[in-house]
Amino acid sequence: MNEEQRLAEELHHRARSLFGRSLHVRTLDTGSCAVCESEIRLLAAPPYDLNRLGFFFTPAPRHADLLLVTGPAVRAMDVAVRKTYEAIPDPKLVVAVGACALGGIWKQDALVHGTVDDVLPVDVYIPGCPPSPLALLHGLLVAVGRLEEKVASLSFDLREVTP
Amino acid sequence: MLWFARGLLRRVVTTRYPRRTDAWAAALPSPPAFDSARLTPELAARLVARCPNGSLAIDGGALVLDLGGCTGCGRCVAEGDGAVRPSGVFELASSERIGLVKRIPIKGARK
Amino acid sequence: MIQLAWILLAIAAVSWLAAAVAGALEATSHTRPLAYLASAVGAVAALVGGGLVAVHGVGAERTFGAGNLVGAVTLRLDPLASVFVVLLGAVALAIALYGPRYHHDEAGISVYLCVYNLALLASLGVLVAGDATLFLVVWESMTLFSYLVILRHHRRPGVARAAFLFLALGEAGFALIIAAFAILATRTGTLDLNEMAARSAGLSSGWRTSIFLLALVGFGFKAGLVPFHIWLPEAHPAAPADGSGFLSGLVINLGVFGIALFGFELLPRGPAWWGLVTMGLGALSAALGILYGLMERDLKRFLAFSSIENIGIVVTALGAALTFSAYRQEALATFLLLAALYQALNHGVYKTLLFLEAGVIEHSAGTRDLDRLGGLIHRLPRSAVVSLVGTLGIAALPPLNGFVSEWLIFQGLFQGFRIPNHAVGILIVVAAATLALTGGLAIMAFARAFGIPFLGMARSREAAHATEARQPIVGPALLAVACVALAVGAPVVLTVLARVGRATTGLDIRSKLIVPKLTIIPGHTDFAGFSPTYLAAFLVGIAVVPLAIYLVARPRAATRRVPVWDGGIVAFKARMQYTATTYANPVRVTFEELYRPDFHVERASDDPAGRSGPVHYRFKVMPLTERFLYQPVVRAVEWLAELVRPIQSGDVNLYLLYVFIVVVIAYLIYPY
Repeated sequence: MNEEQRLAEELHHRARSLFGRSLHVRTLDTGSCAVCESEIRLLAAPPYDLNRLGFFFTPAPRHADLLLVTGPAVRAMDVAVRKTYEAIPDPKLVVAVGACALGGIWKQDALVHGTVDDVLPVDVYIPGCPPSPLALLHGLLVAVGRLEEKVASLSFDLREVTP
Repeated sequence: MLWFARGLLRRVVTTRYPRRTDAWAAALPSPPAFDSARLTPELAARLVARCPNGSLAIDGGALVLDLGGCTGCGRCVAEGDGAVRPSGVFELASSERIGLVKRIPIKGARK
Repeated sequence: MIQLAWILLAIAAVSWLAAAVAGALEATSHTRPLAYLASAVGAVAALVGGGLVAVHGVGAERTFGAGNLVGAVTLRLDPLASVFVVLLGAVALAIALYGPRYHHDEAGISVYLCVYNLALLASLGVLVAGDATLFLVVWESMTLFSYLVILRHHRRPGVARAAFLFLALGEAGFALIIAAFAILATRTGTLDLNEMAARSAGLSSGWRTSIFLLALVGFGFKAGLVPFHIWLPEAHPAAPADGSGFLSGLVINLGVFGIALFGFELLPRGPAWWGLVTMGLGALSAALGILYGLMERDLKRFLAFSSIENIGIVVTALGAALTFSAYRQEALATFLLLAALYQALNHGVYKTLLFLEAGVIEHSAGTRDLDRLGGLIHRLPRSAVVSLVGTLGIAALPPLNGFVSEWLIFQGLFQGFRIPNHAVGILIVVAAATLALTGGLAIMAFARAFGIPFLGMARSREAAHATEARQPIVGPALLAVACVALAVGAPVVLTVLARVGRATTGLDIRSKLIVPKLTIIPGHTDFAGFSPTYLAAFLVGIAVVPLAIYLVARPRAATRRVPVWDGGIVAFKARMQYTATTYANPVRVTFEELYRPDFHVERASDDPAGRSGPVHYRFKVMPLTERFLYQPVVRAVEWLAELVRPIQSGDVNLYLLYVFIVVVIAYLIYPY
């Protein structure tokens, strides 16, 4: 099992790096307040310009490589989320954006799952409320393997010397 | 045409990220960083109470910060007067949800 | 060869007469299959016979019974008419193959079969008539028998009125045709058509013009030119599907034949303005036909308007040919005549196909209303394929036959610059632009007419349960094959048509029509050219070759099947689809000044967004010609009749007074 897992991980990593220079992103709002959407939309504007990195927004999940999910996954969106996810061809990535999607704001109840983890297999989590466009760029570049994750090695203790 | 010249003069240009990070990025709302030398259990309890969505908690002898829930509201910074400062970090993406949970040791706490 | 043609056409006539008899006896003695068989045999004989005459390229004439009581009857084999004989054979054959299954469980069909075959016989008569009297007699018979064909379901509401409209306008046209022939016959002193043609050059231009205009309007009534078209949208839905196919495929083409007969054979070398008037009527018919057709929800009414449009295209080409001929551009005139004949032939084939398929749809889904159909491609797969071929043909998409003939017509019109008169050249360009407009609208209209019933989800329960079992397929399939053959075999068709052209105008343009490598050129060697055969092969190739490469070399990874992406909504309902009305809405809005639609919206209450119940929305297009031409004329006639009514007082004494007055007047005038 370990060898299989390792191979699956390596395959997934390889697939992710295939998207490095050309990635089509499909956004999905599962019940957010739309501020995360504003920040995502800002990525296409000249100050941040994600097209220069080879990333493109696409409305059609059939053309997408990466699903950018915001919102705490309300139950009313279950069918839509499942259909969108299944409509994206493999290999695909899922990135959860914002405190809502990461489960930090809403608790699970009759109307909402509370976290996108409950409905989709998430590859990268981008925290923030909302994450700034720079944080989103970092997250997308991490998702395709062009940048390394930093947060594991970060310390939020001022007394600790960060490498 | 004038807007073009005006923009260039005011240095409104596309960001060079990821090759270079802009200076103003450090001033964006960001999660807090704690001075563990001044983090007493009373201060920690007050910070936990102050956080509006429960991203701070106390577990064992450590203050647990859930970066996934932190909205960068700054209430803990205001409460901590000097012991808590904005970290200025925005590159917080992680492929593990666990990786977003950070522990800061509380001074003089029993484990 | 010509002898064989005579024999074959005689066989056709006898077969159809036999079919009529068999049909009439069908109720009592189970001769229905015999009727269909005889009809089919006659059709094949007509098809081959007409083809032989066209290939032979020279006319022939025979007179029967000279010197007897009734008078001589002259028949002539004319290459121009032979094209329409071929069409008659093809249409009749398809209908004969279609009939058994379409009429399968219908009773009371004997009268219908009888009059239908007699209508076929009369149509053949129109095409081989050699003298004016015979022509008029069979023309009127053809009208009457077609009227009876339309009356098949005479108990249904609206059918009797539609048939009467057909008859009334047919008679109006007939009156004008009689007048045209009468003037021509008295002025040339002969009843024989070939003789008339030879002697007509000697007539004064005033007489020639009046004859031509009478013929244009008279045959225009039958052909369905605007503004003489109002019977078409009524008669086609009223008639049974094979009757509609016959009407659209053949009867209106007889009107075109009449116009061509007078324009090119009986009164050749007319002034340019004849051609311009014809072209104008044709362009107007084409544009208005398709514009009104786009607003129709009834499939058959839409197809009727499409027939008006196609006849408009044919008549535009004829008019342009007359114009070119007046300016001594003989090659282009002959070329456009050939293009018009080709288009008429193509139209007959694919329009009949579409009407037969409309009949299949009506019988299997129970409705002709486009907004109640949908998803029929799953329920009626074979009919869908055949309909698609017909739709692609009529929308003039390459590589099918509609594209070839319309390309020819456009290329002919584009050469209007060869006419020294700039005003005329500009008018020809305007006609070409109008045809371009109709072409674009036709593509939209037929995307709608094929897409709404066949694609998507069924919009009603009847459509969802449509079944193809026991629906006719052979007849329409034959016509679909003919569509492809007429396209791919265009060089062959044009070679034959060139012989027809040579017989009609005296000019053989084959060298300016077909060049080596199966390429067609429009009457001039350095203007344009394309090869329909190679184009068809190329298009098939670019579809097939990548598919073959994929099938051979595709990756063998596991495939994942998921439903079609529908926007992620929970459930897709049929009501969420486009309807025929909404699909054509942009055209309605653009041409609102023309349509002047009458809107009517009913809500259960004034609660916004219709939350309180359904909202009924109705709109009706204003029928231009009925409002501004026919109703005023009818009102004028009624007013005149009211004026004259006092004469018919019913009083016998007054009538005796009238008789006395007339006798006195006659007595006084007689010596002079």
